Amino acid sequence: MQNRELNRYDASFGSELMKLRSIITVVMITIMIIVFGIWFLISPKKEFSESENRQLALAPVYTFQALKDGSYMTAIQKYLSDHFPIRDEFMTFKTKTEILAGKEEINDIYIAKDGYLIEAYKQPRQTAKIINQFGKLYQDITTDAKNNMSLMLVPTAVTVYNDKLPAAAPDKGDLKQLETMDAIYKALPEIKRIDCYPGLLAQAQTEKEDANVSPLYYHTDHHWTTFGAYIAYRQYCEAMGITPLEESAFTKTVVTDSFRGTVYSKLNDTTVPGEEITIYENPENRLTVNYQDSEEVTDSLYNKDYLSRKDKYSMFLNNLHPLIEITNETADSDKVMVLVKDSYANSIVPFLVNHYKKIYVFDTRYYRFGPASFINQHPEVTDVLILYNMNTIDTDLGIGGIF
Amino acid sequence: MVFSSIPFLFFFLPLCLILYYLVPFKVKNYVLLAFSLVFYAWGEPIYILLMLFETLSDYTLGRFMDKAGDKKGLRRLFLAMSVIIDLSVLGFFKYADFIIESVNAAFGTAITPFGLGLPIGISFFTFQTMSYTIDLYKKEVSVEKNYFYYLTYVSMFPQLIAGPIVRFSTVNEELHERNIDFDGFITGGLRFLKGLFKKVLLANTIGSLWEIIKASAFAGDSGISVASAWLGAVCFTLQLYYDFSAYSDMAIGMGRMLGFHYLENFNYPLSSVSVTDFWRRWHISLSTWFRDYVYIPLGGNRQGTLMQLRNMFIVWFLTGLWHGAAWNFILWGVFYGVLLAMEKHIWGKALQKLPRILQHIYAMFIYVVGFVIFVFDDMAELKHYLQIMFGFGGVPLMNENLIWYLRNNFLLLILGCVIAFPVYPWIKGKLEHWTATCSGLMRSRTSAFVLSVMLIFGYMGLFFLATAYLVNDTYNPFLYFRF
Repeated sequence: MQNRELNRYDASFGSELMKLRSIITVVMITIMIIVFGIWFLISPKKEFSESENRQLALAPVYTFQALKDGSYMTAIQKYLSDHFPIRDEFMTFKTKTEILAGKEEINDIYIAKDGYLIEAYKQPRQTAKIINQFGKLYQDITTDAKNNMSLMLVPTAVTVYNDKLPAAAPDKGDLKQLETMDAIYKALPEIKRIDCYPGLLAQAQTEKEDANVSPLYYHTDHHWTTFGAYIAYRQYCEAMGITPLEESAFTKTVVTDSFRGTVYSKLNDTTVPGEEITIYENPENRLTVNYQDSEEVTDSLYNKDYLSRKDKYSMFLNNLHPLIEITNETADSDKVMVLVKDSYANSIVPFLVNHYKKIYVFDTRYYRFGPASFINQHPEVTDVLILYNMNTIDTDLGIGGIF
Repeated sequence: MVFSSIPFLFFFLPLCLILYYLVPFKVKNYVLLAFSLVFYAWGEPIYILLMLFETLSDYTLGRFMDKAGDKKGLRRLFLAMSVIIDLSVLGFFKYADFIIESVNAAFGTAITPFGLGLPIGISFFTFQTMSYTIDLYKKEVSVEKNYFYYLTYVSMFPQLIAGPIVRFSTVNEELHERNIDFDGFITGGLRFLKGLFKKVLLANTIGSLWEIIKASAFAGDSGISVASAWLGAVCFTLQLYYDFSAYSDMAIGMGRMLGFHYLENFNYPLSSVSVTDFWRRWHISLSTWFRDYVYIPLGGNRQGTLMQLRNMFIVWFLTGLWHGAAWNFILWGVFYGVLLAMEKHIWGKALQKLPRILQHIYAMFIYVVGFVIFVFDDMAELKHYLQIMFGFGGVPLMNENLIWYLRNNFLLLILGCVIAFPVYPWIKGKLEHWTATCSGLMRSRTSAFVLSVMLIFGYMGLFFLATAYLVNDTYNPFLYFRF
């Protein structure tokens, strides 16, 4: 008798609790929705996201036309998601959950071995255009520099560190970058081919046996390290018949240990540790670095102001400039180089300056007149080097500016 | 606007509900109407006129029909006008180009298509507004005298663009008188959240795996295998189920918060044991609409087997066509029509004698293949994908990619498959029963309390995760633009 009563009593306790729990759940979430809504409205809006390194959407401007074709609504949607409160933290939460759920690839980034975050290689679409533009540069040059043109295509971590990719990953054991590189090299037989892959691969093998060796690529960024660039520099020298400087000729300085690069930003997994950037400087060099757009002249290849910011890699050659003129009084030759490149080259320039009295560095995303006409107006140019990494070359907006 | 988006979830919905709750009852329908029109105009700023036209026409014809009293001929005339107008609008905006292109293909003519975009939700609201005049003709509902109330019914944002197809008879009383209480807010809110989680965390994520597999089937670089193609088909099945049923959950939940009681639209369709069973559980508001407004008026099964087969063919042809103006949808509808007829007349009885697990496998095979037909509106692509699935694609049985997909998504896929069956309510029921009956009052109450706290935190965690996915917003498609 008593027992039955007890059960009935408890059943009502259970249903009361169930009701209460539904109320708490819905009310709490309602409060959160309202809090986030108000937080969004009153929080100051940033124009630029440091962590994503991009301009955030601006508040949409109302026009009747925009309303009619619906672009006004799309813009509002974009604005809201770009400026949503604690956006970065939400991103972290999503990434962490996905990793916990067993994901090994998130937003086209592999969660690879040894703490590497490696960008997947996407099916290239621009190969024909790239070949065409490089060929155009060769065609358009009328000076002797034409005969001294070389091309270095740099495979990225997905190829060189292929072993580190998670098992069964689509890029594992399938080195598609090399196929694309080969296609470009073969289509341009008149340009000297500089293959840095064998050197990088050999070094990657050495690294496996000795964990203390410097890495070739950053763990959290799509660039190579200064050491990776050094290995490629040796390959360049070998191909060009130049005697490379030994590593010991350079003073190595760790300029930061809290670098978290572009690949990190795509995941925003805040538990990933920051890493070091090391720069190699030859104390013998007497440099004049002339940024032609800002008419700023310095004696250093670095702008250390960037070290206090998120995009620390930008310290190399002071980020982006259409044309930089670098003069080194102590170079071991009087040769003059034109370098047509992406941001990978910013790490190799500190080595190249030792062998070229003058290097003109072009970023064709911003330099609009084509390096060929510059070369034709400067007959003192002896060498032309094109340097691109294989991951961003396909989407590089500067390719169209090469002629 | 889609429900699973930041503008809707954090601004539109709270603002609408706050205003709706604050104003006196007489004004509530107008608040709801205003928000619904903004909601529709958000995605279709121009075509909103179309909806206004259709509702105005059906409202007016309804009033005429009411005035006609018992004059059967007049009533019939007004009904015919209503049906013709509604179907013409639907036919013109949805099917004109399809017909033109089919004629061009068949006779080598070169008629220029109109190139009109399909108004979002037109198939849903046309069927809703038609249910009113038809039921009014049958005197099953009373006439609606307030145009704005009628427009509120058709345009009500919870069910406007992706169903369920709410009939006028379901809500006509509640349009004038309904209870709006705290309990409805809580029950509706929970239902809405369930839908939101299903859409954002399951449908979208499983859908992005389907996109990858689909792309690999057409990339031509041997990335696909037979097993991957099947996995892809299963992924699309799960995506469509979660997406669609999540919209219905959110609609029903929001309706409840507003004081309306909509009928259920999905009842674990993927757990069905036959094709007949599947269509009793999948998009219930659509299949019952066709049953009541097409199949039964045609005579249903009352005029012999041959007529019944004809009626079934018509209904399933139309069901297919309703889903989109393309041949694959018609094929999909006829595929089901044929299978249903077979089940009814040939192997239905034998099927029921099979072990239950085999019945499930039978139904799964059919609906998975069915959704492959559903997803490819290009017949050449459909053929290519089916060839791969059935081993005629010249691709390996399995490959590394399959292992990669499974490794990366095993938890998601397991959850996706399990939740499609009525497992969650079963576990929750068991746990609740266990806590209520476990010996000792203290122990019983403690475990019930722990269970409740876990559920609360579970919901909050999922809410944050869903928000994170929306903020990141990489993949949030709307699948019904063809309906």
